[in-house]
Amino acid sequence: MTRRAGDDPTANGSDDHGDSGLGRRRFLRTSAVVAGGALVAGCSSGDSGANASGANGSNASSNASSGANGTVSNTSGNASANGSVGIKSFRGSGPLVESRPPLKGPRIDDLPDLSGTLSVYLGGGEGGLYTQFLDLLQKMYPKFDVKLRTASSSQLANTLITEVESGSPKADVFWAVDLGALGVVANNDATVKLPKKVVKPVPKSFHPNNKWVGVAGRARSVPYNTNELSANQIPNKVQKFTDTKQLQGSMGWAPTYGAFQSFITAMRLLRGKEQTKQWLKGMQGQNVSEYPDEFLVSNAVADGELAAGFANHYYSLRVRAARPNAPIELAFTKGDAGALINAAGVEVIKGTKRRQLAMDFIKHLLTAEAQEFFATRTFAYPMIPGVPPVGGLPTIDELNPPELDLAKLSNLEPTLKLMRETGVL
Amino acid sequence: MSTLGDGRIDIDRGTVLRGGLLALAGAIALAVVAPIAWLVVRAFDMGIESALALLSSPSTVQITVNSALLVTAVTAGSVLLGVPLAVLTARTDLPFRRFWTVVLALPLVVPSYIGAFAFVSAFGPRGTLADLLAPLGVESIPTIYGLQGTVLVLTLFVYPYVFLTTRAALLSFDASQIEAARTLNHSYLGAFRRVVLPQIAPGIAAGALLVGLYTLSDFGTPSIMHYDVFTRMIFVEYNAFGRGRAALLSVLLLGLTVAILGIESRLSADDGNAYAGGRRGYTISLGAWKWPALAFCTLVVALCLVVPLGVLAMWLFRGGPGYSAGGFAFEWSYGLNSVVVAALAALVATVAALPVGYLSARTDGPLTDLFDRMTYLGYAAPGVVVGFALVYFGVRYLPGLYQTLPLLIFGYVVRFIPQAVGTTQSSVLQVDRSLLEAARTLGHSPLASFRRVTLPLIAPGVVAGAALVFLTTMKELPATLLLHPSGFKTLVTYIWQVQDAGYYGAAAVPALVLVAVSGLSMLVILTQEGDDVR
Repeated sequence: MTRRAGDDPTANGSDDHGDSGLGRRRFLRTSAVVAGGALVAGCSSGDSGANASGANGSNASSNASSGANGTVSNTSGNASANGSVGIKSFRGSGPLVESRPPLKGPRIDDLPDLSGTLSVYLGGGEGGLYTQFLDLLQKMYPKFDVKLRTASSSQLANTLITEVESGSPKADVFWAVDLGALGVVANNDATVKLPKKVVKPVPKSFHPNNKWVGVAGRARSVPYNTNELSANQIPNKVQKFTDTKQLQGSMGWAPTYGAFQSFITAMRLLRGKEQTKQWLKGMQGQNVSEYPDEFLVSNAVADGELAAGFANHYYSLRVRAARPNAPIELAFTKGDAGALINAAGVEVIKGTKRRQLAMDFIKHLLTAEAQEFFATRTFAYPMIPGVPPVGGLPTIDELNPPELDLAKLSNLEPTLKLMRETGVL
Repeated sequence: MSTLGDGRIDIDRGTVLRGGLLALAGAIALAVVAPIAWLVVRAFDMGIESALALLSSPSTVQITVNSALLVTAVTAGSVLLGVPLAVLTARTDLPFRRFWTVVLALPLVVPSYIGAFAFVSAFGPRGTLADLLAPLGVESIPTIYGLQGTVLVLTLFVYPYVFLTTRAALLSFDASQIEAARTLNHSYLGAFRRVVLPQIAPGIAAGALLVGLYTLSDFGTPSIMHYDVFTRMIFVEYNAFGRGRAALLSVLLLGLTVAILGIESRLSADDGNAYAGGRRGYTISLGAWKWPALAFCTLVVALCLVVPLGVLAMWLFRGGPGYSAGGFAFEWSYGLNSVVVAALAALVATVAALPVGYLSARTDGPLTDLFDRMTYLGYAAPGVVVGFALVYFGVRYLPGLYQTLPLLIFGYVVRFIPQAVGTTQSSVLQVDRSLLEAARTLGHSPLASFRRVTLPLIAPGVVAGAALVFLTTMKELPATLLLHPSGFKTLVTYIWQVQDAGYYGAAAVPALVLVAVSGLSMLVILTQEGDDVR
């Protein structure tokens, strides 16, 4: 699988930015193959803890990877020798990854060792890959132990608020895939401020008030079925979706899903309540179908059940990873809520007795190695400038994300009110 | 009733015992209801005006109507499926009865949200069936989404409640009465209607009640089948940080529960003469009806087990790499964890259900009825609501127990004790009082006669109840997610995790393990039924 992908001439990621439509299409195709390779490789290694290095192990560079494996397990994480080798155990596999440029940014080697038990509440769908990352850290630091609790972001946020209100918090760190959930916890005065030194590598918009910091970005997108639609039939403004004839009765969304609610919140912040309400009504007029989550929306698009939908960008890549021939591509709107970049982020919980360890842990999430992990394994946008997004993934400026204070995404209540008033919820 | 001499002492002892039993039952009922009280407190938090606005909003009305429709249809469907199947497997010469009993009860172990996924995958637009029919020129098939699909899926995965409770009632039923009715020239059907039905009615009603309440509290199925009901709205509110609104809606949902309990108690009010003493087997010969009966059983099993297991197998073996587990590796310890907590929950729930179920069957008093009904409240509240109530209680009042196994197990007991109470009660109802009186005349104390006469007779029902608690605990998800100790994984938390991350293939193995373990527990029930199943 990986081998075959390596022969693919489109795999040379350097010129993928030229034509964005072509680039994206090529990106989708190749990165799906990459994902497939990584997943197959990860699976074939058998042992969960060794998955990350196992993914490398099945690659052509098996020597290097076994070296990486050895380095990871033989040192306690601060050996200066594992510099470039260390990156490999965090990196996904496949041709795009082989052509990765040298990375810039803080290195794990330069950070203090992690030691002790850290209680992490992990909210959201990428639990699998994040768990894998945590396994890797625990392998590097034998004295470091993560006590993990996983559930949906909003459920954990509710739990955390209740715990802090009652004076007996159980978590040190909240790591969630949705800025809204992080914001709700922060606004309920349940977090401690992150020192400047910790959040410094990340652009200001992903730590607006230092109550939380983004660790991996996700873009809103419009997955569409290539048998039903062509790229130029997808409007480049999200408002136009309500009166585009060919989308009548063939769109899908997941209004109960956190990412979708953040998207509507962004629309409300950018365009006001009335226009958002009109948009919601307009989409209902288009006879939009409802799904419980955006992975299912993307799957329905791939199945042809829908012509297009609203979903975070990486779900389509997952679908392609499962079914490489699925007729699904991504389109992006321009400069509006439809092009919102949300993020997974972390915050430290008030009342923690392990504040220093928690801060050191967050520093680890913002290293080149960790960012490379998120970029090449979850297809997320890296949060530090020294690590580029994978392959042909359009860059943030190509995406035209709206100008928006992301901290305000936590103000969900008025959004939900709108959604209720229109009967969307 | 007793001899003059020590009769007085005996009555005193009986009164004391009954008083103690009543106090015990009351304490258990209160403990189970206590977390629910949190809902009312929360609901009062939000202020009258916005509460009234929420309650009278068109969407609330619509959702109430939808929920009522769904509960009615699923309950009716479950009775129509469960009762004939129970009769077939308990009282006829259906070939391979033991086999059918196991496989017909098994759908209960398939989490209904996995069932719903499977049905959408198989019968949805562009699903497997549509793909198979497409070459034959079939352009589209009737949609599975909406009320009809929700009813179909829920009925298929919850009818075993009725099947099991009806079976338990049939098995402890005195068959000599059928013979009596037959000698009076009634047909089998006539005898069934006049003699059997009244006696197994409490069993059917207990199962139907569980079905109705499960339907009311299920979130996954209606959500996947695109049908708007109460729980979906509550779930959405919780996930959207509308804790007060969710609490108020939950109180409203509990109102619906009380209504269902009222209907049920009216239906099963006429159980005064329902009892059975002997356990003599009685078998109806099916004759030529054997084949339609077999076809019926096969069809049910095909829909309830072959479809979901087939889809799981497809997920497991489908070539695409996206169906592998990514960062998740399955560990057998998750299965062990599931079994241990489910067994503990079953044990605690069964022991706690005994006094409540016994009293409500033996005593006609408003207090015992109240205690019995109280235990049902937790069952109707969605798991996420009970979970949050216990998180709130745990962190505030029991910080030492919060995120520990005892509180998790208590959560399961709150949610599932009615299953044990219901089966205990319907079994106790069928114990011939004259047997107890005989034991008492022979000088046994009330406790001893309970132990020596009642307990052996109700054992099959009690074990069936325990098995039900075990099974539902095995597959319970939302409360488990909220209350489990950090780092403690079970089969369903693992299934949830991999499904949520989109790795359907990884859900296949644990789901199959779930079915297998639960299948074994069905065999335990059969062993308990002893030589009634031949």
